[in-house]
Amino acid sequence: MPTKNIMLCCVAGMSTSLLVNKMKKAATELEKDVVIFATSVSGFDQELASRQVDCVMLGPQVSYMEKDFKEKLTDKNIPLSVINMQDYGMMNGEKVLLQAYELMGGE
Amino acid sequence: MTNKNLWQKFIDRFTRISIKIGNQIHLRSLRDAFAMIMPLFILAGLGVLINNVFFPLFLKGASLTNFQLFGNLIVNGTLNIAGLIIAPVVGYCLARNRNYKNALGAAIVSLAGLIVVMPVTLQALPINGKKAVDISGFLSYSNIGVTGMFAGIIVGLIAAELFIKLSKIEKIKINLGENVPPAVSESFLTLIPTIAVISLLAIISAILFVGFHTDLIKLITTLIQEPLRRVNTSLPGFLLIYSVGNLLFGFGIHQAVINGTLLDPVLLINTNKNMHAFAAGDHVPYIITSVFRDTFGMMGGTGSTICLLVATFLFSRIKASREVTKLSIVPGIFNINEPVIYGYPIVFNIPLLIPFVLTPIISLLIAYYATVLGLMNRTVVLVPWTTPPLINGFLATGGDWRAVVVQLLSFIVGVLFYIPFMKISEQVLLKQNQ
Repeated sequence: MPTKNIMLCCVAGMSTSLLVNKMKKAATELEKDVVIFATSVSGFDQELASRQVDCVMLGPQVSYMEKDFKEKLTDKNIPLSVINMQDYGMMNGEKVLLQAYELMGGE
Repeated sequence: MTNKNLWQKFIDRFTRISIKIGNQIHLRSLRDAFAMIMPLFILAGLGVLINNVFFPLFLKGASLTNFQLFGNLIVNGTLNIAGLIIAPVVGYCLARNRNYKNALGAAIVSLAGLIVVMPVTLQALPINGKKAVDISGFLSYSNIGVTGMFAGIIVGLIAAELFIKLSKIEKIKINLGENVPPAVSESFLTLIPTIAVISLLAIISAILFVGFHTDLIKLITTLIQEPLRRVNTSLPGFLLIYSVGNLLFGFGIHQAVINGTLLDPVLLINTNKNMHAFAAGDHVPYIITSVFRDTFGMMGGTGSTICLLVATFLFSRIKASREVTKLSIVPGIFNINEPVIYGYPIVFNIPLLIPFVLTPIISLLIAYYATVLGLMNRTVVLVPWTTPPLINGFLATGGDWRAVVVQLLSFIVGVLFYIPFMKISEQVLLKQNQ
């Protein structure tokens, strides 16, 4: 299994970075080989161009970017999903991590 | 039932319209551009703080003037070129959002375009002189700086937009054939659009100079920037737009969609003008600024939710709420409150939506009138929005402890205001669970 790269995205990349920490913790517990990082909506293009991304998770507060970002991702075949509000609020790292894995096709 | 449907309809329509406004490509590019250059303005705040609050603590006279050169130079590299910087950056962001490959090319055209519309002669006051003289061959800080920000934005957007549009027209592309290296033909690709856009701006500028003795910077500033700024940063205009943005966050969509586009640009101009005036020792012109909003209108994040956290901590008997509070308090100190908004939750929770929107209004009114009555200084330093409450009030007002008292007062009022709504929300929750 190669390392998976999950990109989280919100307005300033602040609150998602909080979730990143929780997800990393969950990843260690579940023994998943994964790189998780957060970025801002305006940093989306740059991150996408400069590093490997296997899946994008949007904070619910920027769900309005879903359509726009999906268009940019179709060529690259990168799946995108909006994080469930409840999981986001409770900063449920494990659930969001599993949601990401589901997006990337299991494992 | 029909009531509920109406409410749902309202939410749907409201979020849809807001997103449409916020996602409008030029406004979005503007928001992106501001995010990109924000570090410079925060640096300006730091420079102003060191110059006008820190140095005077132990320096006087000539040595103070010498030391203050440090901050003055920082102001030159930040506030005094705000318009000059925003123009290419906004052009760049627009190109990126339009998925146009040569974003740097668009930025260059935006920058050149801005310079082209600058006045050719200026009136300047010689050092120690009393009479203004006409000079030429210079750009002035007032035109490329804070006052020229809006001109930078508009010219930057127009130039980049035209450039991108023209670049996409196949007919006017110079085709050099297959044997020419791609990099060479690439350089010709943007040639005609560049010539066209800059020439057009030059023609408009020349007509304005010669025929009307004015310039585009002046026109944009007086006809667009000032009216917009006056309406949107007036007390009612500001509170209305800000509350609409906050209500949107209550429906799960970030308030920056509204506020980042309709408020931040004009509020930031006010902040920058205040910083500039404070640095120069002039009268500080505005009460309502972006940092005023951040400091008094979003303690602990949008909706001043730190008040809710404290109210919950003191009076809630529901375990889930207390759990979220524990999770939210540390990010809340740094004004990050998505856990509260989505976890408590505030989203779609009508009893809590009311104080979520009204508490910031109350705090802002308290702070506004405290400033009007001269009980505290105006905000003169841009501090990052993640600076914890109380500290941010102290720094933003150039070290005025009375601002901290005003914040504390607003905080207590906010806690008291949140309590009854929190109780109602809990009762609703209990009933639903039964």
